[in-house]
Amino acid sequence: MSSASPETESSTGAGQQTGYYVYGILPGDVELTEEIKGVGDREVTLVHDGDLAALVSEIELLGPLGTADDLQAHKEILDSVAAGVPVLPLRFGAVVASEDAVVSELLEPNRDEFAAALEELEGRTEYVVKGQYVESAILEEILSEDSEAARLREQITGKDADASREERIRLGEIINNAVAAKREGDTQQLLSTLEGHAVASVVRDPTDELEAMNVAFLVEEDKADELDQEVEDLGADWEGRVELRVLGPMAPYDFVGAGQEDQG
Amino acid sequence: MSVTTQPGGGASTRPQPSGLVDVIDTILDKGLVIDAYVRLSLVGIELLTIDARVVIASVDTYLRFAEAVNRLDISQDKETLPELIGDMEQGGARRKTQGALEGAGQKIRDLVGGGDDDEEERQPSRRSRRRED
Repeated sequence: MSSASPETESSTGAGQQTGYYVYGILPGDVELTEEIKGVGDREVTLVHDGDLAALVSEIELLGPLGTADDLQAHKEILDSVAAGVPVLPLRFGAVVASEDAVVSELLEPNRDEFAAALEELEGRTEYVVKGQYVESAILEEILSEDSEAARLREQITGKDADASREERIRLGEIINNAVAAKREGDTQQLLSTLEGHAVASVVRDPTDELEAMNVAFLVEEDKADELDQEVEDLGADWEGRVELRVLGPMAPYDFVGAGQEDQG
Repeated sequence: MSVTTQPGGGASTRPQPSGLVDVIDTILDKGLVIDAYVRLSLVGIELLTIDARVVIASVDTYLRFAEAVNRLDISQDKETLPELIGDMEQGGARRKTQGALEGAGQKIRDLVGGGDDDEEERQPSRRSRRRED
């Protein structure tokens, strides 16, 4: 499949000014019911090909891609679609030369894989549970559990920051390690609590030093309320210690990676 | 997460999601990449790179934690470090002071358009539906 059918794409070359930005892959029996503006404020459309469809919008090729607005648009479009139908989100930044190329280069060569993945995602969306430690609470907790940390705290109290630099670094290192250990333990607790309510889960890398957990869950539509309830209960248990948030429903970004078939 | 409160915006008792941070965390390096990706990208377009990852376990981190411990004695305010914010710049060097973080957060909000970007807490509107076959 290396032929690029130059006869139909002869106009696309060095001088090309617009391409097609691809957000994701949908089942072919989907249609858009209202106008959506996507990246670059261009209208989002569907390119249908049999049992598949690609969600695309035209894009200027001259400017850079990846501004805050671009990223927001990419995610917003995919999430709004994912609330209604299964969708395979492409990684941000997929741009093809033409509408024909969407079919010939993207949909046709991957038809079976896409169709199978979409079938697996039917009725499932992603939710992300994020927790953030309440700083003062987690510090007090660590200081009460670690005698060396408590001792170092005494040592730096009232001392000039430069004069107590060594002690501060050591104290901070202990706390950092303790937070990491708590993150792991609390993440495990979240996972075991939500295990029965999710089809799959992915633990994400922390994005903040005081992040308690950051986990993506693939959830059946009718289980979303259960998940919400469990998180709420957990949040009540951790009141004053961890602030929990649930993001979603969103497109299954964390479940369509390279090894997408083994996520189930 | 006081830093994400909109200036002049309505007060909220719930922690506000720091919109762009969540967006980047969610879509960066995630999503379908297929063999054809390289061919798909043959149309030259400049992709801005954004490093949203926190550099964990640096001396700066340690000193910041120590300072936070020091502050426990002075005030019992329930002050939390804002999420990330400072790492939005290319290169990803973490800012050191609270003030700088707030400044960076402000800048990001401006980029985003200053609006409420906590769009995704619940149920985006349905903009598509299945055809009856």
